[in-house]
Amino acid sequence: MAKFIVVGERIHCISPVIREAFEKRDPEPILKRAKEQIEAGATYIDLNIGPAENDGEDLMKWGVKLIQENFDNIPLALDTANKAAIEAGISVYNRDKGKPIINSADAGDRLSYIDLAAHNDAIVFALCSAGAVPADADERMVFCQQMLEHGLTLGMEAEDLWFDPLFLVAKGMQEQAQHIMNATRMMNEMGLITTGGLSNISNGMPKEIRPIVDSFMLAMCMANGLSSIIANPCDRKLMETVKTCDMLLNNTMYADSYLEL
Amino acid sequence: MPFNQKPEKFAAKINTVTIGNGDKAIALGGESVLPLYTFDGPIDNAPKVGVEITDLGVEDIPGVKAYYEGCGSVADMAKKASEMEGADFVVLSLKGGDPNGEDKPTEDLVAIVKEVVAALGDYPLVVEGSGNVEKDNELLTKVSEACQGTNALIMSAKEENYKTVGASAGLAYGLNVGAESAVDINLAKQLNVITTKLGVNPEKIVMNIGNAAVGYGYEYVVSTMDRIRNAALSQNDDTLQMPIITPVSVDAWSVKESMASEEDMPEWGPAEERGIGMEIMGAAADLVSGSHAVILKHPQSVATIAKMIKELV
Repeated sequence: MAKFIVVGERIHCISPVIREAFEKRDPEPILKRAKEQIEAGATYIDLNIGPAENDGEDLMKWGVKLIQENFDNIPLALDTANKAAIEAGISVYNRDKGKPIINSADAGDRLSYIDLAAHNDAIVFALCSAGAVPADADERMVFCQQMLEHGLTLGMEAEDLWFDPLFLVAKGMQEQAQHIMNATRMMNEMGLITTGGLSNISNGMPKEIRPIVDSFMLAMCMANGLSSIIANPCDRKLMETVKTCDMLLNNTMYADSYLEL
Repeated sequence: MPFNQKPEKFAAKINTVTIGNGDKAIALGGESVLPLYTFDGPIDNAPKVGVEITDLGVEDIPGVKAYYEGCGSVADMAKKASEMEGADFVVLSLKGGDPNGEDKPTEDLVAIVKEVVAALGDYPLVVEGSGNVEKDNELLTKVSEACQGTNALIMSAKEENYKTVGASAGLAYGLNVGAESAVDINLAKQLNVITTKLGVNPEKIVMNIGNAAVGYGYEYVVSTMDRIRNAALSQNDDTLQMPIITPVSVDAWSVKESMASEEDMPEWGPAEERGIGMEIMGAAADLVSGSHAVILKHPQSVATIAKMIKELV
């Protein structure tokens, strides 16, 4: 299997620093977070500009160019509900190191984000949900099939649809963790690429517990064939988990210094 | 159904390492395909053959002796070795420095290295230490100084002395560094990692992952090379993308199949022919498994392996 992929989630408009940087078009905070994540091992950088209803197109173009020009055209996930902003971002996107990712589609109101990916030769994160919380793994698989067929009908390759089994908070919905793992395994058995927003799992838990829960959840999902994750690569425990699982799954060659690579 | 060839493509590449200077320089590696898989993609730098000589002078093997006839010094031998049919580079082994053998002083060996460097000029040179870790600390530091400007390959940095050898050959004198492990893939990778961390340019590192004579655990050599090449190409592991050099002659000529005399083993035939056979079999298998360069000593083995490479690449 291929080496696990980490999509760095730290350039997110929920962060006050980032939001202010977006508003003022101040490169420094964005570049700082991009650099930290790349050095920590992120393969893709997520660029979340939020709803960005006013100046989304201009902002996304600025962000895409800023990060790619400073970091050797690192591939990006373009994260917003504003479709015009995604297309604007793709119009200035450099594909040398990989296709852009559209973050994200689902099987409900956001199904048309798959069309957006098909028309722009992009990868798309496809959330296995139609709005409500899916009951179990089987329901997730129904949404997965629907989106897969939709994408294939539009001429997409299956490998450009990265299915997210929908990571949900464990505190309150504990039974969902195993449904997520089961769905991941089923998708993996179909040869599909999978991803997910890891930190949802530990939402609402004390700060010192979150990295532990995140890491164990990730390890259990990787054992079930998870291909990638949207997470904070600056979380050391998390990256140790990724590197160790990659080694134990024989995706990377062991050496005594493997955690430092 | 017609045969539809599907080349195996990798988005990764073996590093290119240059040894020697100018027109005579050789390049190892640079390809994105499995060993000798020219049908999958180009191999711009064909594997190379090195001729080993030692500071102890000409060995008592008839064909070798005949070839170096008239050579009055190690430098003369080096010149002659560089003219051998099929030779791409010369390997000077300083095994006479081994404290458990002749224990020659470092100064004497460095003097020989200087003469050889002068005799070869730009022609690619590989220098092997005494094999003793402590002696090599001092010896290879001085040897590196004597080789400054030659773009030679200095062998070898081992786990125990990579800091001294890497710092002198790689950092102080800008030479290529051989990273030696003994048929242990995890150590081979670790050595590349720590040598690179020391500051040595990864494009100046050549791996010697160890060897064995055919029939003496050789299958471990094959599996180690296989896994290295797979990790380098299919996992794009840049800590294993260094080209591989394999000393074949040492093992090939030190097993009973090549050493037992014809008097003792009449049914085995002439000893020299057996030694040549062991060298050729070992080198051919190494090249198929992933070596970018092999080190041999008999003129007949050198010519045969060079011809094999020419026919395949």
